[in-house]
Amino acid sequence: MPSKPAQIHLHPVAKTVAAAPGTPLADVLFPEGVEFPCGGRGRCRGCRVRVLAGTMEPGEAEQRLLSEKEIADGWRLACRHQVEGNVSLAIAQWESPILADNSTYAFERVEGLGVAVDIGTTTVVAQLVDLRNGSVLAVRAELNRQARHGSDLMSRIGASVTDAGGSALTGAIRRQVARMIGELMRAVVERDLPPVRGVVLVGNTAMHHLFGGLDAEPLSRYPFEPERSDALRWTASELRWTGLPEACPVTFLPCIGGFVGSDVLAGLLAVGFDHRTSPAAFLDLGTNGEIVAGNGDRILCASTAAGPAFEGARISMGMRAATGAITAVHQLNGKWECRVLGGGEARGICGSGLVSAVATGLDLGTILASGRLARGDTWMIQEPVSLHQCDVRELQLAKGAVAAGIELLLSALEIPCSEIETAFLAGAFGNYVSLESALRIGLFPFAGERVTPAGNTALLGAKIALHAPDPVALCNAFRKRITHVSLHADPDFQEAYVSAMRFPDPARVGA
Amino acid sequence: MNQNIPEKWKSLYDAVLEGNAAAATAAVDAAIEANESPQTLVDEYMIPAMDDVGEKFEQNEYFVPELLISARAMKAALTKIQPLLTASGSQPKGRVALGTVKGDLHDIGKNLVAAMLEGGGFEVIDLGVDVDPDKFIDTARASKVDIIAMSALLTTTMPSMKTTIEALKAAGVRDGLKIMIGGAPITQEFADEIGADAYGDNASTAVSIARSLVAS
Repeated sequence: MPSKPAQIHLHPVAKTVAAAPGTPLADVLFPEGVEFPCGGRGRCRGCRVRVLAGTMEPGEAEQRLLSEKEIADGWRLACRHQVEGNVSLAIAQWESPILADNSTYAFERVEGLGVAVDIGTTTVVAQLVDLRNGSVLAVRAELNRQARHGSDLMSRIGASVTDAGGSALTGAIRRQVARMIGELMRAVVERDLPPVRGVVLVGNTAMHHLFGGLDAEPLSRYPFEPERSDALRWTASELRWTGLPEACPVTFLPCIGGFVGSDVLAGLLAVGFDHRTSPAAFLDLGTNGEIVAGNGDRILCASTAAGPAFEGARISMGMRAATGAITAVHQLNGKWECRVLGGGEARGICGSGLVSAVATGLDLGTILASGRLARGDTWMIQEPVSLHQCDVRELQLAKGAVAAGIELLLSALEIPCSEIETAFLAGAFGNYVSLESALRIGLFPFAGERVTPAGNTALLGAKIALHAPDPVALCNAFRKRITHVSLHADPDFQEAYVSAMRFPDPARVGA
Repeated sequence: MNQNIPEKWKSLYDAVLEGNAAAATAAVDAAIEANESPQTLVDEYMIPAMDDVGEKFEQNEYFVPELLISARAMKAALTKIQPLLTASGSQPKGRVALGTVKGDLHDIGKNLVAAMLEGGGFEVIDLGVDVDPDKFIDTARASKVDIIAMSALLTTTMPSMKTTIEALKAAGVRDGLKIMIGGAPITQEFADEIGADAYGDNASTAVSIARSLVAS
């Protein structure tokens, strides 16, 4: 007899989700916007939840990572638990904008509420924040409604220039954000809260242009320089957004340069890159890979068209990280074992699964360092999901672009990668891909212990900006210090790119 | 795969196939020293080697890195042989001017096509990246080109191909030459639509297409 779904009540956003007992709690919370910085392997404290009602027995990971007092207070690691019965959970990530415990960022208390919106090419996330204490009051995450005009950046830009027209795309995203903000406000309507004092939007340069109604045509061709890269400002009434005070400022933060937008700028603020005096790097990997490297003195950034392989697109059995997606492939006594999201039958493979499958394939010898499948053109990883030769090739193109971009920026700064003290891995990719797998395929040259998954830094940076007296001034002061480098124009890029398409030999991994 | 490589200078064929530039030039040196005809080295060893590289690429055995190191080995050998070929008055199979179209900077595919065409016995004038229609026209006029090859990687730069073909027509040079196009977003349908003579799906097929274009 199928067991009755359990009710998972989430605080402080006042939302209830139903889930079947036995479902990993991570699978329930991830779609709600909860992040798993270490990939849900019980190695960090990022996914802490506090049990307000119901029971969840603490396990080994909790004994190791949480204090006795924290455990006694009901704190648990969400990634270590399955749904058992009805529970009420407070999500630590949503209580303050401080993502990691060692973060040096401290917010200034400001009267009023703020709305932070991260407009990604694929997803849009909006949070309503109480600026008096930094807590998140409500969260909305949706797919970007422009996606029907092309899933990747270039086809979206192409659509804005040609058939669909820029105004259709601008209208679609503005309506979507307005509706999401309306939903955020309705979620707290019964509470006695101060008014919203500002909305801050972040996104890459194309999203900046398409939201702002600017001509994206210059982004469609060499030299890919934006029409404008400064901050865009409106009031709520100018956008005809109801539900907000009429004079409430709506600000799209400024871009850095080329395709590198305010999402990266905000991300850098979120990890404290502006205060760093030692060499560090920052990576945000999606369809476009954004790379930042600094030596404490100079900061360089670049974007590289990594292709959609990291998101499971253009892969023969690729899919988004949803129920039925293979999210990891582990080695087990010379064989392998798949993890399927939701625990049921496998339907496809997502980006993290692809990286993990290839890493395991390299270890098992089913994939050679050249990327060639050792036997035939397909590798059946779990019925009915197989990996094709062309899938491995897609991943080689994606990882080659990223690895070559890192190499070129570091060489421009004249620092060896061994001197990079911290490499921040931002965005969803850093949340769910296994670090070991990423290192095994040679995605980046940093030692594993120096890579820090940093979560949705774009949104966190937007929240930091909301707390600032003048968000635009804060961004402008910082972005002056960052130089955008065009990888296309670098004659060494092709050489580095092609060399980086190979996978590292086993002996060199982690060296 | 080519089974009929004469044993005599098979080391040259192997060196190109494996992408070993040092071994390829060493083999050429030894062959020239032994008075082998440069044309024979190109026709019986190097062209078959690049054909086989192309075949391995199409069969997924080789990928971009392998293709490129083979092209490099081939180019190193060709640099040694070219002056001798010219001196002996031998003719290339045809002359191709190629480049990525206006607005497009992605040249890895274009470079592979150039290498494969050279390996296939063509003389290649590489116009580089972000090539203006006028530059194609000037080259067609000045250098008696048989084929113009254009590449575009981005959907947003595809329209430049059409612009270039129209400019070639307007300049009155279109009729004297063949036009082939390629690149990730390009399709046969698009080639037909803009009035190109041929479309190639990858660097390897570019050679057989170019051969059939100059034969027609």
